[in-house]
Amino acid sequence: MRLPVDLVVEKRTEDYPKWLPAATSLAAVILAFIISGIILKLIGGDPVQVGKFFWSATFGSVATISDTLVKATPLILVGLACSVAFRMKLWNIGAEGQFYMGAFFASLVVLVPILPPDAPKPLILLAMAVMGMIGGAIWGFVPGFLKAKFAVSEIITTLMLNYVAILWNNFWIFDRWSEGGFQMTRLFERGYWLPRLADYAREYPTLSGITLHLGFVVALLAAVLVWWIFDRSRWGYEIKLIGDNPNAARYAGLNIARNIILVMMLSGALAGLAGMSEISGVVHRLQERISPQYGFTGIIIAWVAKLNPFAVILVSILFGALIVAGREIQPSGLAAMLQGIILFMVISSDVLLRYSIRLQRTTTPVTAGSDA
Amino acid sequence: MSNKRLWSLLALLLVLVMLVAACAPAATPAPAADQSASAQDTPAEEAPAQAPADTSTDAGTYQIPTTEEGKYNVAFVYVGPHDDGGWTQAHDQAREFVENNVADVHTAYVENVAEGADAEQVIRSLARKGFDVIFTTSFGFMDASEIVASEFPDVDIIHISGFKANGENFGNLMGSMENMKYVAGMVAGARAKADGNPKLGYIATFPIPEELRLGNAFGLGVEETCPECTIDVRWIFTWHDPVLEKEAASSLFDSGAQVVMTGADTPAPAEAAPDGKWGITYDYQYNCTNPQCLTSMYWNWGPVYANIVDQSRNGEYVGGWEYFDSDTGGMGLFGFGEDEELMPGVASIPEEDLAMIKETYMKFLSGELDRFDVFSGPITDNQGNLVVPEGVSLKQEDLDGFKEFGSECETCMYWWNENISAELPSLD
Amino acid sequence: METHPNAVEMKDIVIRFPGVLANDHVNLVLKKGEIHALLGENGAGKSTLMNALAGLYRPTSGIIKINGEVADFHSPRDAIACGIGMVHQHFMLVPTQTATENILLGLSTPRFHINLAKYDEEILALQKQYGLYVDVKSKIWQLSVGEQQRVEILKTLYRGAEILILDEPTAVLAPQEIDELMATMRSLVDQGKSIIFISHKLHEVEQVADRITVLRKGVVTAEGIDIAGLDKRKLAQLMVGRDVVFDVERTAQKPGEVVLSVRDLQASNNKGVPALRGVSFDVHAGEILGFAGVAGNGQSELAECITGLRACRGQITIDGRDLANAPPILAIKNGVAHVPEDRTHVGTAPNLSITENSIMKNYREAPIGNGVTINRSNARIYARKLKESYGILAPGVRTLARKLSGGNLQKVILAREISTDPKLMVAVQPTRGLDVGAIEAIQRLLLEQRSTGTAVLLISEELEELFSLSDRIAVIFHGQIMGILPAEDADIDTVGQMMMGTRLEEIEQEQEAAP
Repeated sequence: MRLPVDLVVEKRTEDYPKWLPAATSLAAVILAFIISGIILKLIGGDPVQVGKFFWSATFGSVATISDTLVKATPLILVGLACSVAFRMKLWNIGAEGQFYMGAFFASLVVLVPILPPDAPKPLILLAMAVMGMIGGAIWGFVPGFLKAKFAVSEIITTLMLNYVAILWNNFWIFDRWSEGGFQMTRLFERGYWLPRLADYAREYPTLSGITLHLGFVVALLAAVLVWWIFDRSRWGYEIKLIGDNPNAARYAGLNIARNIILVMMLSGALAGLAGMSEISGVVHRLQERISPQYGFTGIIIAWVAKLNPFAVILVSILFGALIVAGREIQPSGLAAMLQGIILFMVISSDVLLRYSIRLQRTTTPVTAGSDA
Repeated sequence: MSNKRLWSLLALLLVLVMLVAACAPAATPAPAADQSASAQDTPAEEAPAQAPADTSTDAGTYQIPTTEEGKYNVAFVYVGPHDDGGWTQAHDQAREFVENNVADVHTAYVENVAEGADAEQVIRSLARKGFDVIFTTSFGFMDASEIVASEFPDVDIIHISGFKANGENFGNLMGSMENMKYVAGMVAGARAKADGNPKLGYIATFPIPEELRLGNAFGLGVEETCPECTIDVRWIFTWHDPVLEKEAASSLFDSGAQVVMTGADTPAPAEAAPDGKWGITYDYQYNCTNPQCLTSMYWNWGPVYANIVDQSRNGEYVGGWEYFDSDTGGMGLFGFGEDEELMPGVASIPEEDLAMIKETYMKFLSGELDRFDVFSGPITDNQGNLVVPEGVSLKQEDLDGFKEFGSECETCMYWWNENISAELPSLD
Repeated sequence: METHPNAVEMKDIVIRFPGVLANDHVNLVLKKGEIHALLGENGAGKSTLMNALAGLYRPTSGIIKINGEVADFHSPRDAIACGIGMVHQHFMLVPTQTATENILLGLSTPRFHINLAKYDEEILALQKQYGLYVDVKSKIWQLSVGEQQRVEILKTLYRGAEILILDEPTAVLAPQEIDELMATMRSLVDQGKSIIFISHKLHEVEQVADRITVLRKGVVTAEGIDIAGLDKRKLAQLMVGRDVVFDVERTAQKPGEVVLSVRDLQASNNKGVPALRGVSFDVHAGEILGFAGVAGNGQSELAECITGLRACRGQITIDGRDLANAPPILAIKNGVAHVPEDRTHVGTAPNLSITENSIMKNYREAPIGNGVTINRSNARIYARKLKESYGILAPGVRTLARKLSGGNLQKVILAREISTDPKLMVAVQPTRGLDVGAIEAIQRLLLEQRSTGTAVLLISEELEELFSLSDRIAVIFHGQIMGILPAEDADIDTVGQMMMGTRLEEIEQEQEAAP
């Protein structure tokens, strides 16, 4: 078979335009939806109906948009946490554990208690946020320190520390702070809750059940901060340099060990903040399974967003939407499949950044011994 | 070269697309349409006019829970998959019962909802869509149910296995499974005695009053048929973990147990039982399929739910603390029902024991016996203390309270019956 | 086929890469039993052409004949089957396995059990036949670079290679190892093998090749001409297409104050073996001190100690400040510039832009950095300035470092280092692997540094380079300085002896005793 045109795949020799990565990612996501639709059709579903439902369940009304953003909030923070570490090629897969430690430390404010429920609310929330970040940062510090001083692989330590954090959390909620013997602490008093739009339902009845909380704003600010660190700050340049070539960084006079520890702590602090935001904004108590694997979803988000903090926001909202809509479709499991396909497509789409593909008129065969 | 490879890839894609096209028509059987319903049925956004759903918005094999106009809409929130062969499937069976036995009702479910973070959004989303009654069937949905109930006063939310209620549209519901555990204990004791191995096992979930109560009920039942039998306990700290539960069952069998009963969700004890040993399963009527299974202590939520749905429609539902006994038909033992055959391990129990078991079972179903009869004295704990003297029965608060958790119980459920060889769980 | 006079005939070979025409209708004929040199600048397409012969690439068009028969290689395996063996510039050996194990690696026999002793003997026989001696039981990492190369050659011979391709075999070798290699090549040819020898070093080619083919920018500029009657200058012209001025001008200049003073410096290499055993010397302002020595005698470690990259004992004073064991940042702040030995792995960050690579040393200071942020427009302006004044060829300052050629990359490094206005410049192998044009540019930059009063420590394995650039030459052997002598007094003989481990005093004593 010989077609009048050849598909020519060439390695790009020049820099690609600035918009290309965003365009390919967007195309990859759309393609992922199309492929999922085909699979859905194959297994007997109705992609159009499912698609319509996805839209109405996620962005169809103010209430569902709120649900989507609530879901996106912890995802943005863990996505940023992973992006920060990945920038320096530190494979922090411990965001899950850092999330739990953040939640635990923030709970200390409530359960010790460090501050009474009638203390000024800004003070309480600030204390909880700071404690959450400290908790996450400690959980980032340990693998960072081991990596910096003893070259212990952070992949192993962060992974293992996930389990330690979850079990540590379990010890407290099963044993010390258990309510009624169940795997949870008592419900936090209102004073410890992040303000939600629903809190103003009395004045504005339309806000009833709109659970979007202050954590979302915090997550957006965190994204701006991370962007500033990456793109504008001196430290961001150093992170980039170390990430790309640690030898060159050392040669340029950088203290790599210190930076590894600092970056791991920043990464942990962001994940810890996500933990604080979830327990103070959504769950309102420390309990088992406060994270349906946010920490691991964060890894996927960071990759799909190509470590760009603003893209992390968009991808998190997309993934939040997938989770919100996906769990209502019965039987469940569709959302996870979509996530997987999106990740796969986006990673594959990188090929387009490295190669250019075009059509070319077929010329006479050139290769000797062609068996076409 | 690379061109050739690309072409073959394109060809493969083409084949794939054609395959999809070929399969598509066959793979989407439209569910039998209920024409009468579709006539007035035009739910706002999703449901297509021509293809009305039988249970919810139809997207091929996928169901999306939405309400149907003109019907009374009931939603269920499950913690596990709807076909888990245990707790959740028992509820799903009840959902089908409601769908089929209550007039003009429409049901839908959301499965695999994580306790905690996700639950509130899911329940709220259902309330928002206009469901009239929502059953939330896991302990961890309690707070979420309470919050959403306060936001939607027109929606009745019934939480299973909790302890909160608001006296209006939010109530809790549970039943006295201790009755069935007691009879199951009689079965297990008789079986072990007949096999000549007086050792039994109990897989317990969490150190909460319910688990001690059910274990003690089982122990008291065992005592009826096998006074010399002893019971060992394994704590697994989960409701649903097939692997862990199976490991616990194996551990009990390995340490000599002849029959293992479970307080968790899966048919693991029967699956783990080696030849000549036996397991008793929980929650779902039809999960006792393995020949090693003696019986399942099952929930039959259907009649109870149907009743609540009727109450709700008539505006009579008051959210309170509801604890039904076995005379409601809300529970049973598999194999002892009218159309059922006894499992081989039960059928071969000596005649006089079997007769006594059957008689006791019937008394519980008829209401002649109830949970307070299970816990009537004399009862001695495994430290030799007399817990309940002759002629006295425990009160409801004694049945479900620990002092440590603020209960006003006098004889709290913090003891093990004398034939249970385990230590009490630590509560601090 | 035994009768066919030509081992290899490549006709009209075109090899096209995305955006690049690597070989443009190239012809090459390798006669049986000859050493054929393939000469050309970096990027002329020599390696590409040879990779096609070794089955790694398929040419876009053209015909390859082996012993007169058309061959169509789909993989290196096909090429090996035709008796072609290639020794790559970067060895493909497993460091933790023995020589024998590496030679056997990838063969279909033995399948499961390896009777190493038996194969050791086979390989020993092969060694004897060609004079390629290596301890077969040694692990690769224990062998010197030259020995590793011999393992690579043995590997091809063991697979029955009749045609050997050696890709820049001398680039990694010490002078005496080069001589040994030349002898080996002769012995191989004497026993009927044919060799293609890639190089861009003119004098080596003159020494060993029978005929040469010269490539320039993918085109053959001289096809199979006999070596006799060609002079060096002519060859260079064929390679670069213009006359090369080899003698860079070095004006006389009086050295200034002592800038760098090293006393009794000791350090270990990466394997923990002592690499520097008490080295002492001074470098003055406005002086180039050249360090000669066979690779691996402590030069790399010396440079790393001075720039703070390696732990050491002893004294390193720069402008009177003791900086031994100080972190690299202190060396930078005290005016030490460093052109590292490894351009890609140490000197630059490959996925960062030219801009980001240019500010590596001065991003901390105004106008590029303040304490917290980096002024990106100032950084770009700075990088553009460097790009222009140092003639760095790249589309723009946003171009990633990994897209630059070796010469341009080295220019980025030199531009960056020189712009910090250093007191001391430590340059390690600054011209290694560069083409003639780039070498000249780099050498001029070093001399400019000298004339502006910078102390330059130049570590090189190119004796010619050291001789033409240095004011004084130190020779290091086995971690010790064999002697330091003024460049005017140095001759290849003396330096060569010192590089082999004879102290300068001993040579002088001999010379005094001789007449």
